[in-house]
Amino acid sequence: MSERGPVLHADKRRALVLHRPHPTVEFMLRQFTQIGMTADIFWPDLPPDLDATGYGVLFFDADLGHDEQFPWVAGETPIPAVALIGSEAPGRIAWAIRRGADAQLLKPVTSGGIYSAVLIASEAFARRQALAAEVASLKQRLDRREAVAEATALLMLRDNSSPEAAYRALRQQAMAGRLSIEAMAVRLIALQQSRESRHDSA
Amino acid sequence: MGFLHWGSNLEPGPDKIAIGVLFSTRGSYASLGREGLHGALTAIAEINADAVHPFKLVAATRDPAGNTEAYAGLCRDIIDASGARFIVGCTTSWSRKEVIPVLERTGTQLWYPCPYEGFEGNDHVVYVGACPNQHILPLLAFVLERFGHDPLLVGSNYIWGWETNRIAREQVERQGGTVRGERFVPLGDTDIGHIIEEVRLKRPDFILNTLIGPSSQAFVEAYWALGDADPAFAPEHRPIISCNWTEGEAAALGPKAAGHLTVAPYFEAAPTAANHAFLATARRFAPAQSRVSAFFVQAYAAVHMIARGIAAGGRVDAAAVRDDAKATSYAAPFGPLRIHAETNHAILTPQIGRARADGAFDVVSRADAPVVPDPYLVHAERRQAPVRQSPYLRVVT
Repeated sequence: MSERGPVLHADKRRALVLHRPHPTVEFMLRQFTQIGMTADIFWPDLPPDLDATGYGVLFFDADLGHDEQFPWVAGETPIPAVALIGSEAPGRIAWAIRRGADAQLLKPVTSGGIYSAVLIASEAFARRQALAAEVASLKQRLDRREAVAEATALLMLRDNSSPEAAYRALRQQAMAGRLSIEAMAVRLIALQQSRESRHDSA
Repeated sequence: MGFLHWGSNLEPGPDKIAIGVLFSTRGSYASLGREGLHGALTAIAEINADAVHPFKLVAATRDPAGNTEAYAGLCRDIIDASGARFIVGCTTSWSRKEVIPVLERTGTQLWYPCPYEGFEGNDHVVYVGACPNQHILPLLAFVLERFGHDPLLVGSNYIWGWETNRIAREQVERQGGTVRGERFVPLGDTDIGHIIEEVRLKRPDFILNTLIGPSSQAFVEAYWALGDADPAFAPEHRPIISCNWTEGEAAALGPKAAGHLTVAPYFEAAPTAANHAFLATARRFAPAQSRVSAFFVQAYAAVHMIARGIAAGGRVDAAAVRDDAKATSYAAPFGPLRIHAETNHAILTPQIGRARADGAFDVVSRADAPVVPDPYLVHAERRQAPVRQSPYLRVVT
């Protein structure tokens, strides 16, 4: 069965390169042209006001690289990143990983490697972003479990009902309001709090 | 500079074989580059003068003057101009990385004669110098037991210092020690007063010095002044240790460098007949090189191994010559030298040397047996290193 190939989207076709002038960079530029990409090259630092989201991918030098070159902190690279590795010494690899490398390309770069590195880094980055978003949403729901318990208790008191009946009522209200149970719970608690504060001030 | 030919114009002929020689004699690591250059040229001159082999070697010499970006072009130039299939050269890892693409494109073999930080194993490179399990690990094993577990690390700001210090930190922490501080200075920088002040305040048990050239010299000299003012910082209490310190550098500082420690497979003061014969050869062909170190000897040995491999196979074949060095030991001035088949690195016996006031190193410890190179540190005993086997003793001399 043939795989569907990954696609180099049109909006990803601009690369950011952080490397000193070197034959490796010239070979990279040739490859970029071949695969329909353009590149902006910076050294020794990325501009502090750089809008990286205008780029599809970052290639950064792992050999001479250091944290001060980047206008963002380690681990918060806003676009897919490819480490350009000359020395495979573990200290350098650890730094590249900490900077958020999604893929790597061994130097010297000559006539290949850019295309697959861009695709793999983009895919790894997208997967990482999706996972991070899902984890954030799950975390949020976990946080709201407390709200569900509190809202259930509120309804038990108001309706003088059992926990099961109160939870059923909460769920029905959520469905009627087209909200998640957690969101409806948060809303009920907020409503109760505003009532109490009106009562207090009266 | 003696009577050696620099950039000899001799054309290689049927009985003449070109050897590329690519070292920097200027720049921040010039003294090490000069040792490599003179070591290689001495062996070439010796082989030619004594008719050791049925051919003459012709040196194709280029000097990148410490400029990393110049190495690849000059390497290419050597090969194009002389047809050399072998290059003896490079001191820094950056320069070695620069020439590797040229070697790969042309099928040329680099004989790299210096210690380095490991994590490489290119098929086009023969690594004649020590890798970490032959330099920093045995050196640390020696000092951790005797001086304490809490060092300060200082190095030149590039891969050699970064990685050697990182390996040291791992090893120190595995043994229950604490790195009291770590400082890097730009290559060639001699402004190191702030580091001496940090040493004074933090009182480390020893100092690992991975500085290069003038920075290292400035540091050792300034540390001597500190020890002169406060005996707590004398080398017998808190030594400086280094994996890249040479006889020439120690001699330049004389008594100010005495007592500090280094590690190498060769020391000039070795009291053997083979070494005395070698030193006579060095004096004969490289009279300008007043002191020789492992950097000189390894370049010298590389040329001899190349020539012997050519003679053995009867042809100028870079890969066959490399394989000959794996199959047969060469009698180097420091003992039998063979290249490890799997890694292309030399099998070496590390020795710990302590500097004397005249710049020679006394051997204070030697590995029991030759150490197989482990450039990726996958087999090194650091994996099962014992934790503080015994209360350490300070060396009192």
